[in-house]
Amino acid sequence: MAEGKPENMRFDADTSTQESEGRQKLRSWLNMSLRVSMTDGRTLIGVFLCTDRDKNVILGSCQEYIQDPDDTSGEDPRVLGLAMVPGHHILKIEYDDITANQIM
Amino acid sequence: MICVASVEGSSPENLEVVPTPPPVVQHTQPEVRYNWKDITQDFLTSCEELELGELMHDANFGLFEAMSAIEMMDPKMDAGMLGNRGDREVLNFQQAIQRETVKLKDLTAPELIGIIDTMLSSMVTWLEGHSLAQTVFTCLYLHDPELIEDRCMRAVALGVLKLVDLIKNNVNRASVFEEEDFQTMTYGFKLAGNVTDVRVTGMLREVEDEINRKVKSTRCKQGEERDPQTELEHQQNVALQARMKFCRLLLMALIAFNKPQCSGVTDGKRLLIQAGELLEVMKKTIHHGAHPDETATPGKMIPYILCYFPIIMGFEPLVNQRLLPPTFPRYTKIIGREAAMEYFQGLLNRLGQVCEVVNIISIHTILDFFIEFSKASPCVLSRSLLQVLAVSTDRKVFGTLPFREALREAVRAFNYPPALVPRSYVFNNPQAKEYVDAFLSRAVRPFSNLLQIHGHNRARQRDKLGHILEDLSSLQDEADKVDAALHSMMIKVDPQRQHLACFGTWVLYHILRIMIQYLLSGLELELYSTHEYQYVFWYLYEFLYGWLLSTLSRAEAMYQEHDAYMEQQKGGSKKKSKKKKKGRPPSKEIVLGQAEQSLCGGYYKATQGFYLDERLKKPVFEFDNEQVRYEHRFAPFASIVTPPLVPYSQFQDMVALEKFSPPLQPADFYVQACKCFQQAKNIYESFPSQTKEVQTLCKVAKTNFVVVKLLLGGHKRESKSPPEWDFTEHNTFPIIRLT
Repeated sequence: MAEGKPENMRFDADTSTQESEGRQKLRSWLNMSLRVSMTDGRTLIGVFLCTDRDKNVILGSCQEYIQDPDDTSGEDPRVLGLAMVPGHHILKIEYDDITANQIM
Repeated sequence: MICVASVEGSSPENLEVVPTPPPVVQHTQPEVRYNWKDITQDFLTSCEELELGELMHDANFGLFEAMSAIEMMDPKMDAGMLGNRGDREVLNFQQAIQRETVKLKDLTAPELIGIIDTMLSSMVTWLEGHSLAQTVFTCLYLHDPELIEDRCMRAVALGVLKLVDLIKNNVNRASVFEEEDFQTMTYGFKLAGNVTDVRVTGMLREVEDEINRKVKSTRCKQGEERDPQTELEHQQNVALQARMKFCRLLLMALIAFNKPQCSGVTDGKRLLIQAGELLEVMKKTIHHGAHPDETATPGKMIPYILCYFPIIMGFEPLVNQRLLPPTFPRYTKIIGREAAMEYFQGLLNRLGQVCEVVNIISIHTILDFFIEFSKASPCVLSRSLLQVLAVSTDRKVFGTLPFREALREAVRAFNYPPALVPRSYVFNNPQAKEYVDAFLSRAVRPFSNLLQIHGHNRARQRDKLGHILEDLSSLQDEADKVDAALHSMMIKVDPQRQHLACFGTWVLYHILRIMIQYLLSGLELELYSTHEYQYVFWYLYEFLYGWLLSTLSRAEAMYQEHDAYMEQQKGGSKKKSKKKKKGRPPSKEIVLGQAEQSLCGGYYKATQGFYLDERLKKPVFEFDNEQVRYEHRFAPFASIVTPPLVPYSQFQDMVALEKFSPPLQPADFYVQACKCFQQAKNIYESFPSQTKEVQTLCKVAKTNFVVVKLLLGGHKRESKSPPEWDFTEHNTFPIIRLT
């Protein structure tokens, strides 16, 4: 279990052709950092682990921000660990694009 | 869980933006640069493609791992969501000082009274098993008393911290709590460790004197007209003074209890009585304190918190929210001020009772005291203090008498084994002495554990009683060996005297008591279904009480044998020994044991009648059967050799009625039950010391006697509805009610 390094996993995503486009997209985001904004104004940042048809999202090593994490006013995040966000509480989902990050 | 760990491994460092290597020096917060891209729509539409119940996940993350995720926005799991309702900002002490939302000086009397009362309320809530962070430390003043300029507030803050520290230490020392009783986590808060106890009580007393002057100056003087303002001021000062003094006395009492060798108990008791008197004043003056202002910022306040927590100046219920683990229990409801005062009243009474223990000398009486005290399900603090006072210091009773010697005394008083009686051969023989000492040393651990068990809460007690039987089983083995060895030594010198089963009888006595207690506690804790009553009462009636009674009579016989021997040795002084015999404690125990045995017999016979009458029905088990239940109920008894576990087959034989001809009728059993209850009633009625317990049991026996008699007379005979077992009168022995 321990050798399941996220780096490896990101690239050996199942590329078999019978998977629908949406599934492939979702699969490509697995193990990436996601930032999820919730209906009550909190933002969670964590590793995308799982989702289903109702858009429930499970994030690993999840951290909770009460203020907008963009303005880095030094708000200490609260560590939640493994957290599930119910689909109907999700306002916005962003992912951490590391491939397009060569701009510096 | 494994997966969670591996996920934790892929912390933000690993997912960091590649071109910027992490700055190694920065330990506090590794700079993480993200490049966020909005995928909301994409994500949501992609999800639509999944089938119902289909999960999109990695190979090493499955439904099992998903189960342990906390659910956001679920009020029970998501502690963080509460803080977000409304726009109220959560300020810590420093921030609150900067924004001037808390006063550091010149607090008014109503403010002080309100703060003290709320502190006491939160302290009670803590004592009831909630975390310090959510109770006592919601008071910002306690975070750093050094910053407080107001002398009164500062003294109280330090006093409360000291109290918390002392309570926590005592509870820890006694270690008779479980997670449901008490939270010891202090979350790194300082508990006024840099100030001595004497200094704190001194400070409290100084402030008290100061207030006392104000009380005097505003007091009604003869022939003087007073304006209502002065009168109010006077009352407020009286209220405040009472609170200050209460804190001081409670603190001093706890300090006194912690003096070595119980030397402070008398002082402590006196202080408790004084504190109790002040509580009366405090209860009457609650209204003088500042109360939460519910109209201040309507809509902005969080309604959720308002109904759970009284927010007044200096308190912030959410200030420690971040210290709590993610799934920590939602919101702690702080107990009301009146209720808190009531709690303290109860606490003082319980502590007063605890003080009595130091007047007891023998281990057996201490054990009885513990059992009796525990029956009222006392709070964790009183339970702990009882332990601390009586036994907890390095296995010495009351901090003076070594536990082993106390046990030696207990056995001697129980049945006078020759080995413990001076002038007998085995008493002086060094070899025999060695055996006895070794045995008593072995007994120290199980018996101090036994005492400790009775400090636990009722539900845990049952569990632990079941386990200690294993320890006692091996002690029993040991006792038999010692008895045999001593016997063979003795028989050589003095063929008339025996040393058989002396220590064995003593251990057996305790084992039987524990077994009975174990079964009875199941009734108290409402563990048994009504269809299980039959074998529980049968086991008690036919075996355990029978064994206990014969063990006690054997001890009595041994004692008499010893007496006769002593007489023979001395030749005269007959009078003295006769006098002794009368007040022997076992005889009282035998009588009470007989009464309880009869009660159990009554229930057992009655259930048998009910089964025949089809008032009680055995459930049709689909996935288990009665044997499984039976064996489970008596499982802890299996570790004991004497008395042996009675197998299920024996119970079946006993209740199988086919072998009787003519077949038995329900009435036959009701007659027997009637007799049993009557016997119990008679014993209780003629019992010399009519304690409350005896009176209650007498009432139970009497009522049951009448009920079964009515049943015999045909009352409600046709009804097939099951009888009700009413535990309101007594929590182990029910009153049977026909419906």
